[in-house]
Amino acid sequence: MLEIDRIDTFYGESHILRGLSFQVAQGEVVCLLGRNGAGKTTTLLSIMGYVAPRSGSIRLRGRPIHARPAYEIARSGVGFVPQERGIFPSLSVRENLTVFARTFPGARWTLQRVYEVFPRLRERERNLGFQLSGGEQQMLSIARALMLNPDLLLLDEPSEGLAPMIVHEIIQVMRELKKEGLAILLVEQNLHTALAIADRHHVINKGEIMFTGTSAELEADESVKSRYLAV
Amino acid sequence: MEIYLAQLLNGLVYGMLLFLTAAGLSLIFGLMNVVSLAHGSFFMLGAYIALSVTRQTQNFWLALVLAPVVTVGIGLLMERLFMRPLYRRGHLDQVLLTFGFTFVFFDAVRSFWGSDIRKLAAPDALQGSIEIAGGMFSTYRLFLLALGAGLALILWLVMERSRLGAMVRAGVDDSAMAAGLGANIPALFSGVFGAGVALAALGGVAAGPVLGLYPGMDGDILIPSFIVIVIGGMGSLRGAFVGSLLVGVADAFGKAYVPALSMFLIYLLMAFFLLVRPQGLFGIKGGVAPAGMVVAVGAPFNRPQLARRLAWLALVVLAVFPLFVPDYHRTLVSEIFVFAIFAMSLDLILGYTGLPSFGHAAFFGLGAYVVIVLGSLFGLNGWLGLAVAIPVTAMAAAIIGFFCVRTSGITFLMLTLAFSQLLYSIAFKWRDVTGGSDGIGIASRPSFLGWSLDDPLALYYMTFFFFILSYLGLRRLIASPLGHSLVGIRENESRMRAIGYATGEYKLLAFTIGGTLAGFSGGLYALFNGFVSPEALHWSASGDVLIMAMLGGAGTLVGPVIGAAVFLLMKNLVSSWNDHWMMIIGAVFIACVMFFPGGIWGMLRDRVARVRS
Amino acid sequence: MSVLRLDNLCRSFGSLVVTHNVNLTIAAGERHVVIGPNGAGKTSLINQMGGQLQPSAGRVLLDEVDITGWAPERILHAGIARTFQKNNLFFNLSVLENLRLAVQARRASGFSVLRPAAARVDILARAREVLVQVRMDADADRLVRNLSYGEQRQLEVGMALAGDPTVLLLDEPTSGMSPAETVGMIDLVRSLPSSLSIVMIEHDMNVVFSLADRITVLYYGEVLATGVPAQIQANARVREIYLGASH
Repeated sequence: MLEIDRIDTFYGESHILRGLSFQVAQGEVVCLLGRNGAGKTTTLLSIMGYVAPRSGSIRLRGRPIHARPAYEIARSGVGFVPQERGIFPSLSVRENLTVFARTFPGARWTLQRVYEVFPRLRERERNLGFQLSGGEQQMLSIARALMLNPDLLLLDEPSEGLAPMIVHEIIQVMRELKKEGLAILLVEQNLHTALAIADRHHVINKGEIMFTGTSAELEADESVKSRYLAV
Repeated sequence: MEIYLAQLLNGLVYGMLLFLTAAGLSLIFGLMNVVSLAHGSFFMLGAYIALSVTRQTQNFWLALVLAPVVTVGIGLLMERLFMRPLYRRGHLDQVLLTFGFTFVFFDAVRSFWGSDIRKLAAPDALQGSIEIAGGMFSTYRLFLLALGAGLALILWLVMERSRLGAMVRAGVDDSAMAAGLGANIPALFSGVFGAGVALAALGGVAAGPVLGLYPGMDGDILIPSFIVIVIGGMGSLRGAFVGSLLVGVADAFGKAYVPALSMFLIYLLMAFFLLVRPQGLFGIKGGVAPAGMVVAVGAPFNRPQLARRLAWLALVVLAVFPLFVPDYHRTLVSEIFVFAIFAMSLDLILGYTGLPSFGHAAFFGLGAYVVIVLGSLFGLNGWLGLAVAIPVTAMAAAIIGFFCVRTSGITFLMLTLAFSQLLYSIAFKWRDVTGGSDGIGIASRPSFLGWSLDDPLALYYMTFFFFILSYLGLRRLIASPLGHSLVGIRENESRMRAIGYATGEYKLLAFTIGGTLAGFSGGLYALFNGFVSPEALHWSASGDVLIMAMLGGAGTLVGPVIGAAVFLLMKNLVSSWNDHWMMIIGAVFIACVMFFPGGIWGMLRDRVARVRS
Repeated sequence: MSVLRLDNLCRSFGSLVVTHNVNLTIAAGERHVVIGPNGAGKTSLINQMGGQLQPSAGRVLLDEVDITGWAPERILHAGIARTFQKNNLFFNLSVLENLRLAVQARRASGFSVLRPAAARVDILARAREVLVQVRMDADADRLVRNLSYGEQRQLEVGMALAGDPTVLLLDEPTSGMSPAETVGMIDLVRSLPSSLSIVMIEHDMNVVFSLADRITVLYYGEVLATGVPAQIQANARVREIYLGASH
């Protein structure tokens, strides 16, 4: 689904991603782990076209997308859930969901279905974006990305700052999405959340991948955990 | 009762016309963060194109549709070809770009349709009048009310009820996120810009039968529209509507009952809002995004050898030049010296400290008025008048600066504009002292070193002397630790604060010095011209000096001098064989904003540096 | 003898608490590193020491003088200088010019117009001293925008040093640096005078353990643990938040 091949991304002179490569297949959940400043969010921003990589390529279903503007990447089937959630504060919950939705007859995700999965959003339908709690914003952000009917979902720390109950709920939703064949690229700092959903993990440090493996392999590798994730 | 009703109605009609311009201005600002100074020009273009259409077809209704369509075409071309390449730069560059276009459009209208006042005929069906509550009201004015209210309703429905409107609101909230969900932001920008232009042009056509058509109607609608969006809240449609009706009605009643104060009070209200409630009545954005601006960059403290040699050469040429030319040229170059001081004084604030003042004429005009008023009412010698003008303008600059330096970017620009218009309104209305719009003069000029300034040669050497003095003084200031501190503020104010500079005090000092020097140049202008009118304080005078500084190269001392020379030579020499000096100035200015942010001098310097390396 | 002391410091934004009852004592010459996950309130804490952010309650004491609520300029003159997470420099000026502005501020001559800046040799001499201290003497005349990111980070430290501080606050000095540049920065910080107290936010554990005398772990605005590196490494709660709590 998504192939990232040796990308280098800079902020000004600051070299953030250094020859990063990995893939995400259909129906697979891949997790990027690492400390603050390792380059996880920048990887997502590079895929979305917000920060164009200076070299390397990014392909979606075999088609290069690395020189395209963000809106074309979104339209070609990528749903983006940013770390700060990006809810439009002056739009209602319903408008947030429908304004850029790409629904069509037979589409998997409709307003109806989104409300079934996130019943809380139906209750808050008429509220404006800025009136939502953190957990509600996170759900709305994920639901809004699903309304694009994407093939690939990019999630930046969806569990950050949320109560365990809500994190649990979000994990359930992601498992369901995976079953439906959606490819998910997840950025996490919380190892337990990552192990609970992802098939494969990449541990990033200073813009380079230091470890790649399954949940079981990561769980067993104390040295990677202590070097790049723990104190 | 009837008279109140009539005033209320007139105020509402004017308010509706303001709304049509302000709504677009506000939407464009909300989405793109750009205050389009060319918005008044589209109002004017709409009206004039309608004039041509009605002449051809005698059909007002056709003009009401066709003129906006043509104007939108022009507006979209401007947006696509000129504004879009600058999206990645600071918003202020785009504001300046639109200002360049006001010159181009003004010139185009004047040369295409002439300078006379025209009137658009109201359609026959609306020629009559209707009796309401015992008073007679023109049917056309009632039609305007309905038109304005109808358009406001449609706009509201589109913005609040349609998906397109939701997209625009989403873009206003967070355009990066909207792009990440599939919104084509550049297309959205074009769409909103085009819609704004359409509304302004429609307003221009609708206003034609009421306000008349004349070159300059652009500024006359633009400035009140600014006041509207400042009061209503930039980016808010509701704010534009309420603000327009408020300003319209206040204007009508103010003119009727407190004619001397109405203009003053409105500008005071504008300044008040900018300072106390910058988000206006209904604005959602907390104030205005700080705006970046590109000025001459490079090594600001190193003067190349070449410049030094050129300076000596220029000094010698300027010293002997007047001996060989007729009076006309002597006078012209004297005027350039005066305006060069004015432009350099602005550059201290604009180019060196990075504060985009759009009201610098306030101090120039004040200095000129002090000299002339003291001379004509009390017979005070011009030099003594100048000696009084300096502390007076210093005080005014310190007071105005005290308020302005608290803000930055577009708020600063608007606030300086409001204060200068405050002074303008005083000069305009306080007839007993200032002579009002007729202006005021002095009977005789003083002498310079025993040499009457009525002699153009004496005038030349006098202005030359003070020009050199100002230049050297400023150069000293720029090279001093204070000058370096100011450049530091322009380059990175937050860093200056972090290394221990109380930047507010520095900005106020720069503003006061710049204002005082502008007052001094205004005083010299009074001696040079012997006459002053409110035009010297008008916002367009502030615009002219801004163009001079940017055109020549802001952030240098030589730049503004070159800019003043080019501007005045164009105005006086080009205009003698070609009508289009404003078009040329506008085009050169646009080119500078787009391709040579360092202005003419910056470009020359770059070329020399490149050839050498 | 403590140089800097935080006494029950609290700060909240509406209902969001970013600093909660933080007590911290920094000794003269101590190198103290603050760590913690995203959103733990590390930068907010440094901002309150530097005066960029006002605490809601509690006190900041410098040499036992209460400096709470002072303006950033005043705190700087009192002896606390800082760097920023994001390079915040005069990008269009030369390296030397950057440092000269910083030195000039401390010598209270920013308003002076009597002599050209170039004639102030005292300022220039101090700027050159700092230049050597941050190992950039060869780059004096380069424009900052032409420096590499790592060199800009170095200058960022120099800008703070130019103010002759007694306490230096470093906000993620190695973020965005390559591994080689990171080693250079560790060296640079080590070479600073031993009398200087340093409070540093850092994520790179290699840097943390190379430099820290003591470490404080922040978690949701609260101090979870303070101690020497070995104590922190052994702390079960700290390990848990870094690897994530199980649900």
